[in-house]
Amino acid sequence: MRYRQSSDLTRCWGRPVSSDIRAMTAELASNPDSLVFLELGEALRRRGQLYAAAKAAVVGLERHPQLADSHDLYARILVDMGHLQQAYDEWQATVELDPQHLGAHKGLGFLCYRWGDLDGALEHLELAVAADPMDQSVVQALQMVRGAAAELTEAPEEPQQSVFQGLDGAHHGLLLFDTRGRVLGGGMSSHLGEDVSRDVAAYVSGGCQEADRSSRILELGDWRWMVLEGPGGSMHVSRSPSNTLLLVARDGSVPSGRLAVLAKRAAEAARQWLEAQQP
Amino acid sequence: MSRVRAVEPWIEDPLVRFVTEAGARLTLIMTPSGQVLAQHGFTRAVDVMAAAALGAAIVSSTREIATTIGEETFRALNHQGIQHGIFLAEMATPRGPLLALVVYGPESSVGLVQLFYEDLVQELVAACPDEEPTKPVIAADFERDLHNSLAFLFGR
Amino acid sequence: MSEQFKQALDGITRVRGVRGALMVTDDDGLIIADAVMEGVRGDAVAALAASLSARMAKATVGAGVGEQHFLHLQAENGTLLSMPAPNGVLIVVLAENDVNVGLVRLEMLRAVEAVK
Repeated sequence: MRYRQSSDLTRCWGRPVSSDIRAMTAELASNPDSLVFLELGEALRRRGQLYAAAKAAVVGLERHPQLADSHDLYARILVDMGHLQQAYDEWQATVELDPQHLGAHKGLGFLCYRWGDLDGALEHLELAVAADPMDQSVVQALQMVRGAAAELTEAPEEPQQSVFQGLDGAHHGLLLFDTRGRVLGGGMSSHLGEDVSRDVAAYVSGGCQEADRSSRILELGDWRWMVLEGPGGSMHVSRSPSNTLLLVARDGSVPSGRLAVLAKRAAEAARQWLEAQQP
Repeated sequence: MSRVRAVEPWIEDPLVRFVTEAGARLTLIMTPSGQVLAQHGFTRAVDVMAAAALGAAIVSSTREIATTIGEETFRALNHQGIQHGIFLAEMATPRGPLLALVVYGPESSVGLVQLFYEDLVQELVAACPDEEPTKPVIAADFERDLHNSLAFLFGR
Repeated sequence: MSEQFKQALDGITRVRGVRGALMVTDDDGLIIADAVMEGVRGDAVAALAASLSARMAKATVGAGVGEQHFLHLQAENGTLLSMPAPNGVLIVVLAENDVNVGLVRLEMLRAVEAVK
Protein backbone atom coordinates (compact mmCIF):
# COMPACT_ATOMS: atom_id res chain seq x y z
CA MET A 1 0.00 0.00 0.00
CA ARG A 2 1.37 3.41 -0.90
CA TYR A 3 0.38 6.79 0.42
CA ARG A 4 0.79 9.98 -1.46
CA GLN A 5 2.63 12.63 0.48
CA SER A 6 -0.37 14.88 0.96
CA SER A 7 -2.76 12.17 2.11
CA ASP A 8 -0.15 10.90 4.53
CA LEU A 9 0.16 14.32 6.13
CA THR A 10 -3.60 14.75 6.32
CA ARG A 11 -3.94 11.33 7.89
CA CYS A 12 -1.48 12.24 10.64
CA TRP A 13 -3.10 15.46 11.74
CA GLY A 14 -6.01 13.84 13.53
CA ARG A 15 -7.72 17.25 13.90
CA PRO A 16 -9.96 19.29 11.62
CA VAL A 17 -7.86 20.81 8.88
CA SER A 18 -8.15 24.55 8.34
CA SER A 19 -8.63 25.89 4.84
CA ASP A 20 -5.19 27.57 4.94
CA ILE A 21 -3.48 24.34 5.75
CA ARG A 22 -5.54 22.46 3.21
CA ALA A 23 -4.56 25.01 0.56
CA MET A 24 -0.87 24.82 1.48
CA THR A 25 -0.98 21.02 1.44
CA ALA A 26 -2.58 21.08 -1.99
CA GLU A 27 0.05 23.50 -3.23
CA LEU A 28 2.82 21.29 -1.88
CA ALA A 29 1.25 18.21 -3.45
CA SER A 30 1.01 19.91 -6.86
CA ASN A 31 4.48 21.40 -6.63
CA PRO A 32 6.73 19.47 -4.26
CA ASP A 33 9.61 21.86 -4.96
CA SER A 34 7.58 24.70 -3.51
CA LEU A 35 8.85 26.45 -0.40
CA VAL A 36 5.33 26.44 1.01
CA PHE A 37 6.42 23.65 3.34
CA LEU A 38 8.04 26.36 5.50
CA GLU A 39 4.72 28.09 6.05
CA LEU A 40 2.84 24.80 6.35
CA GLY A 41 5.28 23.36 8.93
CA GLU A 42 5.17 26.55 10.99
CA ALA A 43 1.35 26.67 10.85
CA LEU A 44 1.13 23.07 12.01
CA ARG A 45 3.70 23.72 14.75
CA ARG A 46 1.70 26.67 16.04
CA ARG A 47 -1.41 24.47 16.09
CA GLY A 48 0.51 21.95 18.19
CA GLN A 49 0.32 19.30 15.45
CA LEU A 50 3.98 18.52 15.89
CA TYR A 51 4.17 15.14 14.19
CA ALA A 52 2.54 16.48 11.03
CA ALA A 53 4.71 19.61 11.25
CA ALA A 54 7.83 17.44 11.52
CA LYS A 55 6.76 15.42 8.48
CA ALA A 56 6.30 18.61 6.46
CA ALA A 57 9.69 19.88 7.62
CA VAL A 58 11.48 16.62 6.81
CA VAL A 59 9.92 16.54 3.35
CA GLY A 60 11.14 20.10 2.77
CA LEU A 61 14.53 19.39 4.26
CA GLU A 62 15.08 16.46 1.98
CA ARG A 63 14.29 18.57 -1.08
CA HIS A 64 16.07 21.71 0.13
CA PRO A 65 18.97 20.53 2.33
CA GLN A 66 20.99 23.66 1.54
CA LEU A 67 18.20 26.01 2.62
CA ALA A 68 18.93 27.41 6.09
CA ASP A 69 15.25 28.10 6.79
CA SER A 70 14.35 24.43 6.33
CA HIS A 71 16.78 23.44 9.13
CA ASP A 72 15.50 26.33 11.27
CA LEU A 73 11.89 25.17 10.87
CA TYR A 74 12.77 21.59 11.78
CA ALA A 75 14.73 22.81 14.82
CA ARG A 76 11.76 24.81 16.14
CA ILE A 77 9.52 21.76 15.81
CA LEU A 78 12.11 19.56 17.54
CA VAL A 79 12.27 21.99 20.47
CA ASP A 80 8.51 21.79 20.84
CA MET A 81 8.78 18.01 20.77
CA GLY A 82 11.39 18.15 23.52
CA HIS A 83 14.25 16.85 21.33
CA LEU A 84 16.63 19.60 22.37
CA GLN A 85 19.92 18.04 21.32
CA GLN A 86 18.60 17.35 17.81
CA ALA A 87 17.22 20.89 17.65
CA TYR A 88 20.67 22.18 18.61
CA ASP A 89 22.22 20.16 15.76
CA GLU A 90 19.68 21.52 13.26
CA TRP A 91 20.33 25.11 14.34
CA GLN A 92 24.05 24.50 14.08
CA ALA A 93 23.42 23.31 10.51
CA THR A 94 21.40 26.50 9.95
CA VAL A 95 24.20 28.83 11.01
CA GLU A 96 26.71 26.85 8.98
CA LEU A 97 24.59 27.64 5.91
CA ASP A 98 23.72 31.18 7.00
CA PRO A 99 26.01 32.55 9.74
CA GLN A 100 23.70 35.55 10.29
CA HIS A 101 20.49 33.56 10.65
CA LEU A 102 18.50 35.40 13.34
CA GLY A 103 16.16 32.54 14.23
CA ALA A 104 18.95 30.03 14.61
CA HIS A 105 21.02 32.29 16.89
CA LYS A 106 17.91 32.97 18.99
CA GLY A 107 17.26 29.25 19.23
CA LEU A 108 20.86 28.38 20.06
CA GLY A 109 20.91 31.16 22.66
CA PHE A 110 17.75 29.75 24.22
CA LEU A 111 19.16 26.21 24.35
CA CYS A 112 22.51 27.32 25.77
CA TYR A 113 20.71 29.33 28.46
CA ARG A 114 18.48 26.39 29.27
CA TRP A 115 21.54 24.14 29.62
CA GLY A 116 23.25 26.62 31.90
CA ASP A 117 25.85 27.64 29.31
CA LEU A 118 25.63 31.40 29.83
CA ASP A 119 28.71 32.14 27.72
CA GLY A 120 27.22 30.27 24.79
CA ALA A 121 23.85 31.96 25.29
CA LEU A 122 25.48 35.42 25.32
CA GLU A 123 27.49 34.66 22.20
CA HIS A 124 24.45 33.57 20.18
CA LEU A 125 22.15 36.30 21.44
CA GLU A 126 24.74 38.95 20.63
CA LEU A 127 24.96 37.54 17.10
CA ALA A 128 21.16 37.59 16.94
CA VAL A 129 21.08 41.25 18.00
CA ALA A 130 23.72 42.02 15.40
CA ALA A 131 21.50 40.36 12.77
CA ASP A 132 18.46 42.40 13.80
CA PRO A 133 19.04 45.16 16.40
CA MET A 134 15.32 46.03 16.29
CA ASP A 135 14.09 42.63 17.50
CA GLN A 136 12.90 43.46 21.02
CA SER A 137 12.52 39.81 22.05
CA VAL A 138 16.23 39.23 21.44
CA VAL A 139 17.25 42.45 23.16
CA GLN A 140 15.24 41.49 26.24
CA ALA A 141 16.62 37.95 26.24
CA LEU A 142 20.16 39.32 26.00
CA GLN A 143 19.57 41.65 28.95
CA MET A 144 18.22 38.78 31.01
CA VAL A 145 21.19 36.51 30.25
CA ARG A 146 23.67 39.32 30.92
CA GLY A 147 21.99 39.85 34.28
CA ALA A 148 22.22 36.14 35.12
CA ALA A 149 25.89 36.06 34.09
CA ALA A 150 26.65 39.10 36.27
CA GLU A 151 24.93 37.50 39.28
CA LEU A 152 26.98 34.37 38.80
CA THR A 153 30.22 36.37 38.67
CA GLU A 154 29.31 38.23 41.84
CA ALA A 155 28.27 35.07 43.69
CA PRO A 156 30.48 34.65 46.79
CA GLU A 157 30.92 30.92 46.34
CA GLU A 158 30.99 28.97 43.13
CA PRO A 159 28.78 25.89 43.55
CA GLN A 160 31.08 23.76 41.38
CA GLN A 161 33.90 24.19 43.87
CA SER A 162 31.89 23.22 46.89
CA VAL A 163 30.63 19.77 45.86
CA PHE A 164 33.66 17.84 47.00
CA GLN A 165 34.97 20.34 49.53
CA GLY A 166 37.46 18.71 51.87
CA LEU A 167 38.02 15.65 49.70
CA ASP A 168 41.39 14.87 48.17
CA GLY A 169 41.51 15.90 44.51
CA ALA A 170 38.31 17.94 44.76
CA HIS A 171 39.28 20.14 41.81
CA HIS A 172 41.41 17.90 39.62
CA GLY A 173 40.36 14.28 40.10
CA LEU A 174 36.69 14.28 41.06
CA LEU A 175 33.94 15.17 38.64
CA LEU A 176 30.16 15.26 38.95
CA PHE A 177 28.21 15.58 35.71
CA ASP A 178 24.84 14.69 34.26
CA THR A 179 24.06 11.90 31.82
CA ARG A 180 24.33 14.36 28.92
CA GLY A 181 27.87 15.29 29.86
CA ARG A 182 27.22 18.68 31.48
CA VAL A 183 29.59 19.34 34.37
CA LEU A 184 27.92 20.00 37.73
CA GLY A 185 30.88 20.11 40.03
CA GLY A 186 34.46 19.13 40.78
CA GLY A 187 37.16 19.18 38.13
CA MET A 188 39.50 17.08 36.05
CA SER A 189 42.98 18.13 34.98
CA SER A 190 45.36 16.70 32.43
CA HIS A 191 49.00 15.90 33.22
CA LEU A 192 49.83 19.39 31.91
CA GLY A 193 47.38 20.96 34.35
CA GLU A 194 44.81 21.88 31.71
CA ASP A 195 41.14 21.70 32.68
CA VAL A 196 39.73 18.73 30.76
CA SER A 197 36.49 18.47 32.77
CA ARG A 198 34.10 19.15 29.89
CA ASP A 199 35.84 16.79 27.46
CA VAL A 200 36.06 13.96 29.96
CA ALA A 201 32.43 14.42 31.08
CA ALA A 202 31.29 14.30 27.46
CA TYR A 203 33.27 11.14 26.67
CA VAL A 204 32.32 9.34 29.88
CA SER A 205 28.62 10.16 29.55
CA GLY A 206 28.71 8.72 26.01
CA GLY A 207 30.38 5.59 27.35
CA CYS A 208 27.79 5.34 30.12
CA GLN A 209 25.01 5.34 27.54
CA GLU A 210 26.71 2.33 26.01
CA ALA A 211 26.98 0.76 29.47
CA ASP A 212 23.21 1.31 29.88
CA ARG A 213 22.53 -0.39 26.59
CA SER A 214 24.95 -3.28 27.19
CA SER A 215 23.44 -3.96 30.63
CA ARG A 216 19.94 -3.91 29.18
CA ILE A 217 20.60 -6.17 26.20
CA LEU A 218 22.79 -8.60 28.14
CA GLU A 219 20.16 -8.67 30.92
CA LEU A 220 22.65 -7.64 33.60
CA GLY A 221 20.24 -5.30 35.38
CA ASP A 222 21.26 -1.71 36.09
CA TRP A 223 25.00 -1.13 36.09
CA ARG A 224 26.42 0.30 39.31
CA TRP A 225 29.97 1.25 38.55
CA MET A 226 32.77 0.88 36.06
CA VAL A 227 36.52 0.81 36.66
CA LEU A 228 38.99 1.47 33.87
CA GLU A 229 42.72 1.01 34.26
CA GLY A 230 45.60 2.23 32.14
CA PRO A 231 49.30 3.01 32.39
CA GLY A 232 48.58 6.43 33.92
CA GLY A 233 46.27 5.21 36.68
CA SER A 234 42.65 4.26 36.96
CA MET A 235 39.19 5.79 36.97
CA HIS A 236 36.00 4.82 38.72
CA VAL A 237 32.64 5.84 37.23
CA SER A 238 29.45 5.40 39.22
CA ARG A 239 25.83 6.45 39.10
CA SER A 240 24.74 9.22 41.44
CA PRO A 241 21.25 10.41 42.37
CA SER A 242 19.19 12.61 40.03
CA ASN A 243 20.59 11.09 36.83
CA THR A 244 24.11 12.18 37.53
CA LEU A 245 27.44 10.42 37.14
CA LEU A 246 30.48 10.54 39.36
CA LEU A 247 34.03 10.10 38.12
CA VAL A 248 37.07 9.57 40.33
CA ALA A 249 40.46 9.41 38.63
CA ARG A 250 43.77 8.69 40.33
CA ASP A 251 47.31 7.82 39.27
CA GLY A 252 48.71 4.31 39.43
CA SER A 253 49.89 4.67 43.04
CA VAL A 254 46.30 4.36 44.28
CA PRO A 255 45.15 0.72 44.36
CA SER A 256 41.68 -0.11 43.02
CA GLY A 257 40.31 -0.88 46.50
CA ARG A 258 41.35 2.57 47.70
CA LEU A 259 39.79 4.09 44.58
CA ALA A 260 36.49 2.42 45.47
CA VAL A 261 36.65 3.92 49.00
CA LEU A 262 37.33 7.39 47.55
CA ALA A 263 34.42 6.93 45.13
CA LYS A 264 32.12 6.01 47.99
CA ARG A 265 33.07 9.15 49.95
CA ALA A 266 32.69 11.33 46.88
CA ALA A 267 29.31 9.76 46.16
CA GLU A 268 28.10 10.69 49.63
CA ALA A 269 29.35 14.27 49.18
CA ALA A 270 27.63 14.45 45.80
CA ARG A 271 24.37 13.11 47.25
CA GLN A 272 24.36 15.76 49.96
CA TRP A 273 25.22 18.51 47.50
CA LEU A 274 22.49 17.44 45.09
CA GLU A 275 19.94 17.35 47.90
CA ALA A 276 20.95 20.86 48.90
CA GLN A 277 20.33 22.03 45.33
CA GLN A 278 16.71 20.88 45.40
CA PRO A 279 14.29 23.82 45.56
CA MET B 1 13.03 12.45 15.20
CA SER B 2 14.79 10.10 12.85
CA ARG B 3 14.65 10.87 9.16
CA VAL B 4 13.16 7.54 8.17
CA ARG B 5 10.77 7.46 5.19
CA ALA B 6 8.86 4.28 4.44
CA VAL B 7 6.67 3.54 1.44
CA GLU B 8 5.19 0.64 3.41
CA PRO B 9 4.20 1.87 6.90
CA TRP B 10 4.89 -1.45 8.67
CA ILE B 11 8.60 -1.00 8.00
CA GLU B 12 8.90 2.38 9.70
CA ASP B 13 8.97 1.52 13.43
CA PRO B 14 11.38 -1.44 13.16
CA LEU B 15 13.64 0.63 10.92
CA VAL B 16 13.64 3.61 13.29
CA ARG B 17 14.68 1.27 16.13
CA PHE B 18 17.40 -0.32 14.01
CA VAL B 19 18.83 3.00 12.87
CA THR B 20 18.87 4.31 16.44
CA GLU B 21 20.46 1.23 18.00
CA ALA B 22 22.94 0.38 15.25
CA GLY B 23 23.97 3.99 14.68
CA ALA B 24 23.47 3.56 10.93
CA ARG B 25 24.12 6.64 8.83
CA LEU B 26 22.26 5.48 5.73
CA THR B 27 19.86 2.59 5.31
CA LEU B 28 17.79 1.24 2.45
CA ILE B 29 15.22 -1.53 2.62
CA MET B 30 14.38 -2.74 -0.87
CA THR B 31 13.21 -5.66 -2.94
CA PRO B 32 15.73 -7.74 -4.90
CA SER B 33 14.65 -5.82 -8.00
CA GLY B 34 15.79 -2.58 -6.40
CA GLN B 35 12.36 -1.18 -5.50
CA VAL B 36 12.97 0.90 -2.39
CA LEU B 37 10.49 0.37 0.45
CA ALA B 38 12.12 2.57 3.06
CA GLN B 39 15.12 4.77 3.49
CA HIS B 40 16.98 6.59 6.21
CA GLY B 41 19.56 9.32 5.87
CA PHE B 42 19.55 9.95 2.12
CA THR B 43 18.78 13.51 1.08
CA ARG B 44 18.90 13.10 -2.69
CA ALA B 45 16.76 10.79 -4.80
CA VAL B 46 19.63 10.23 -7.20
CA ASP B 47 21.73 8.72 -4.40
CA VAL B 48 18.92 6.35 -3.43
CA MET B 49 18.54 5.32 -7.04
CA ALA B 50 22.24 4.58 -7.42
CA ALA B 51 22.54 2.79 -4.06
CA ALA B 52 19.43 0.67 -4.66
CA ALA B 53 20.50 -0.35 -8.15
CA LEU B 54 24.06 -1.15 -7.06
CA GLY B 55 22.95 -2.97 -3.90
CA ALA B 56 20.51 -5.14 -5.82
CA ALA B 57 23.15 -5.87 -8.44
CA ILE B 58 25.73 -6.83 -5.81
CA VAL B 59 23.34 -9.26 -4.12
CA SER B 60 22.37 -10.70 -7.46
CA SER B 61 25.96 -11.26 -8.57
CA THR B 62 27.12 -12.68 -5.24
CA ARG B 63 24.17 -15.08 -5.30
CA GLU B 64 25.56 -16.37 -8.59
CA ILE B 65 28.99 -16.76 -7.04
CA ALA B 66 27.42 -18.61 -4.12
CA THR B 67 25.68 -20.97 -6.52
CA THR B 68 28.93 -21.58 -8.36
CA ILE B 69 30.71 -22.67 -5.19
CA GLY B 70 27.78 -24.72 -3.96
CA GLU B 71 26.35 -22.30 -1.39
CA GLU B 72 22.65 -21.60 -1.43
CA THR B 73 23.28 -17.91 -0.82
CA PHE B 74 25.50 -15.54 1.15
CA ARG B 75 23.82 -14.33 4.33
CA ALA B 76 25.46 -10.93 4.44
CA LEU B 77 28.29 -8.96 2.91
CA ASN B 78 30.39 -6.34 4.62
CA HIS B 79 32.81 -3.94 3.01
CA GLN B 80 35.01 -2.10 5.47
CA GLY B 81 36.50 1.24 4.52
CA ILE B 82 38.61 3.59 6.62
CA GLN B 83 35.74 5.83 7.66
CA HIS B 84 32.66 3.88 6.61
CA GLY B 85 31.48 0.32 6.34
CA ILE B 86 28.78 -1.06 4.07
CA PHE B 87 26.63 -3.96 5.21
CA LEU B 88 24.40 -5.67 2.68
CA ALA B 89 22.12 -8.57 3.56
CA GLU B 90 19.09 -10.44 2.30
CA MET B 91 16.22 -11.40 4.59
CA ALA B 92 13.24 -13.70 4.09
CA THR B 93 9.86 -12.20 4.96
CA PRO B 94 6.27 -13.35 4.35
CA ARG B 95 6.27 -10.84 1.50
CA GLY B 96 9.28 -12.51 -0.09
CA PRO B 97 12.95 -11.63 0.12
CA LEU B 98 14.02 -8.10 1.01
CA LEU B 99 17.45 -6.51 0.97
CA ALA B 100 18.97 -4.19 3.53
CA LEU B 101 21.81 -1.86 2.65
CA VAL B 102 23.38 -0.16 5.66
CA VAL B 103 26.18 2.40 5.73
CA TYR B 104 27.78 2.96 9.13
CA GLY B 105 30.57 5.14 10.45
CA PRO B 106 33.33 4.73 13.04
CA GLU B 107 30.86 5.36 15.89
CA SER B 108 29.33 1.98 15.08
CA SER B 109 30.76 -1.37 13.98
CA VAL B 110 29.82 -4.32 11.84
CA GLY B 111 29.26 -6.26 15.06
CA LEU B 112 26.65 -3.77 16.25
CA VAL B 113 25.04 -3.56 12.82
CA GLN B 114 24.80 -7.37 12.61
CA LEU B 115 23.44 -7.59 16.15
CA PHE B 116 20.63 -5.12 15.59
CA TYR B 117 20.05 -6.31 12.04
CA GLU B 118 18.91 -9.64 13.50
CA ASP B 119 16.38 -7.75 15.64
CA LEU B 120 15.29 -5.77 12.58
CA VAL B 121 14.64 -8.96 10.63
CA GLN B 122 12.59 -10.45 13.47
CA GLU B 123 10.54 -7.27 13.86
CA LEU B 124 9.95 -6.92 10.13
CA VAL B 125 8.86 -10.55 9.82
CA ALA B 126 6.44 -10.03 12.72
CA ALA B 127 5.06 -6.76 11.30
CA CYS B 128 4.90 -7.84 7.68
CA PRO B 129 1.40 -8.15 6.17
CA ASP B 130 0.46 -11.13 4.01
CA GLU B 131 2.33 -11.85 0.84
CA GLU B 132 1.31 -9.99 -2.30
CA PRO B 133 0.98 -12.06 -5.50
CA THR B 134 4.38 -12.25 -7.11
CA LYS B 135 4.86 -10.98 -10.62
CA PRO B 136 7.70 -11.44 -13.03
CA VAL B 137 10.38 -8.79 -12.85
CA ILE B 138 11.08 -7.35 -16.24
CA ALA B 139 13.15 -4.33 -17.10
CA ALA B 140 10.15 -2.03 -17.46
CA ASP B 141 8.77 -3.08 -14.02
CA PHE B 142 12.13 -2.49 -12.46
CA GLU B 143 12.30 1.06 -13.76
CA ARG B 144 8.69 1.83 -12.93
CA ASP B 145 8.88 0.38 -9.40
CA LEU B 146 12.10 2.23 -8.73
CA HIS B 147 10.64 5.55 -9.82
CA ASN B 148 7.37 5.00 -7.98
CA SER B 149 9.13 4.37 -4.69
CA LEU B 150 11.49 7.30 -5.22
CA ALA B 151 8.50 9.51 -5.89
CA PHE B 152 7.12 8.68 -2.48
CA LEU B 153 10.41 8.70 -0.61
CA PHE B 154 11.21 12.19 -1.81
CA GLY B 155 7.70 13.56 -2.09
CA ARG B 156 7.65 13.79 -5.89
CA MET C 1 39.27 -22.20 16.72
CA SER C 2 43.00 -22.74 17.29
CA GLU C 3 43.93 -25.04 20.17
CA GLN C 4 45.92 -22.22 21.77
CA PHE C 5 42.94 -19.88 21.83
CA LYS C 6 40.64 -22.64 23.05
CA GLN C 7 42.94 -23.43 25.97
CA ALA C 8 43.21 -19.77 26.89
CA LEU C 9 39.43 -19.33 26.91
CA ASP C 10 38.91 -22.60 28.77
CA GLY C 11 41.23 -21.30 31.48
CA ILE C 12 38.94 -18.32 31.95
CA THR C 13 35.70 -20.28 31.90
CA ARG C 14 37.03 -22.65 34.58
CA VAL C 15 36.79 -19.79 37.11
CA ARG C 16 33.56 -20.19 39.05
CA GLY C 17 30.89 -17.69 38.01
CA VAL C 18 32.20 -17.09 34.49
CA ARG C 19 29.39 -17.43 31.94
CA GLY C 20 31.41 -16.82 28.84
CA ALA C 21 34.80 -15.79 27.50
CA LEU C 22 35.46 -14.43 24.03
CA MET C 23 38.21 -13.14 21.79
CA VAL C 24 36.79 -10.28 19.77
CA THR C 25 38.06 -7.90 17.10
CA ASP C 26 38.26 -4.57 18.91
CA ASP C 27 37.18 -2.38 15.98
CA ASP C 28 34.49 -4.61 14.45
CA GLY C 29 33.09 -6.28 17.57
CA LEU C 30 33.11 -9.66 15.83
CA ILE C 31 33.91 -12.98 17.52
CA ILE C 32 37.28 -14.59 16.79
CA ALA C 33 36.89 -17.38 19.33
CA ASP C 34 34.41 -17.99 22.11
CA ALA C 35 33.43 -20.31 24.92
CA VAL C 36 30.05 -19.29 26.26
CA MET C 37 27.34 -21.01 28.27
CA GLU C 38 24.05 -21.87 26.62
CA GLY C 39 21.72 -18.89 26.64
CA VAL C 40 24.51 -16.32 26.42
CA ARG C 41 24.30 -14.25 23.21
CA GLY C 42 27.96 -14.34 22.21
CA ASP C 43 27.47 -11.97 19.28
CA ALA C 44 25.79 -9.41 21.53
CA VAL C 45 28.49 -9.69 24.19
CA ALA C 46 31.18 -9.23 21.54
CA ALA C 47 29.60 -6.27 19.78
CA LEU C 48 28.57 -4.41 22.92
CA ALA C 49 31.79 -4.98 24.85
CA ALA C 50 33.88 -3.77 21.90
CA SER C 51 31.65 -0.72 21.55
CA LEU C 52 31.81 0.06 25.27
CA SER C 53 35.58 -0.26 25.29
CA ALA C 54 35.90 1.98 22.23
CA ARG C 55 33.57 4.62 23.68
CA MET C 56 35.46 4.74 26.95
CA ALA C 57 38.85 4.92 25.21
CA LYS C 58 38.76 8.70 24.71
CA ALA C 59 37.63 9.18 28.30
CA THR C 60 40.57 7.25 29.75
CA VAL C 61 43.05 9.13 27.59
CA GLY C 62 41.39 12.46 28.44
CA ALA C 63 41.45 11.76 32.17
CA GLY C 64 45.16 10.93 32.05
CA VAL C 65 44.64 7.20 32.61
CA GLY C 66 45.98 6.44 29.14
CA GLU C 67 45.16 3.51 26.88
CA GLN C 68 42.83 1.05 28.54
CA HIS C 69 44.44 -2.03 30.07
CA PHE C 70 41.33 -3.29 31.78
CA LEU C 71 37.62 -2.45 31.94
CA HIS C 72 35.29 -3.74 34.65
CA LEU C 73 31.56 -3.02 34.42
CA GLN C 74 29.68 -4.07 37.54
CA ALA C 75 25.93 -4.47 37.22
CA GLU C 76 23.20 -5.75 39.53
CA ASN C 77 23.09 -9.19 37.95
CA GLY C 78 26.44 -9.60 36.28
CA THR C 79 29.91 -8.42 35.43
CA LEU C 80 31.45 -7.54 32.09
CA LEU C 81 35.24 -7.43 31.81
CA SER C 82 37.48 -6.60 28.87
CA MET C 83 41.21 -6.48 28.30
CA PRO C 84 42.94 -5.52 25.06
CA ALA C 85 45.40 -7.97 23.53
CA PRO C 86 47.84 -7.42 20.64
CA ASN C 87 46.79 -7.32 16.98
CA GLY C 88 43.45 -5.63 17.57
CA VAL C 89 42.04 -8.38 19.78
CA LEU C 90 39.90 -7.78 22.84
CA ILE C 91 39.47 -10.45 25.53
CA VAL C 92 35.92 -10.23 26.91
CA VAL C 93 34.40 -12.04 29.87
CA LEU C 94 30.79 -12.17 31.03
CA ALA C 95 30.36 -13.39 34.60
CA GLU C 96 28.11 -13.46 37.64
CA ASN C 97 28.28 -10.37 39.83
CA ASP C 98 30.08 -12.21 42.66
CA VAL C 99 32.84 -13.67 40.48
CA ASN C 100 36.42 -13.47 41.76
CA VAL C 101 37.63 -10.71 39.43
CA GLY C 102 41.24 -11.15 40.50
CA LEU C 103 41.29 -14.77 39.35
CA VAL C 104 39.52 -13.98 36.10
CA ARG C 105 41.97 -11.20 35.43
CA LEU C 106 44.93 -13.56 35.80
CA GLU C 107 43.38 -15.92 33.27
CA MET C 108 42.65 -13.02 30.94
CA LEU C 109 46.32 -12.04 31.09
CA ARG C 110 47.19 -15.61 30.08
CA ALA C 111 44.77 -15.29 27.17
CA VAL C 112 46.53 -12.08 26.13
CA GLU C 113 49.81 -14.02 26.08
CA ALA C 114 48.19 -16.65 23.87
CA VAL C 115 47.29 -14.00 21.29
CA LYS C 116 50.85 -12.62 21.10
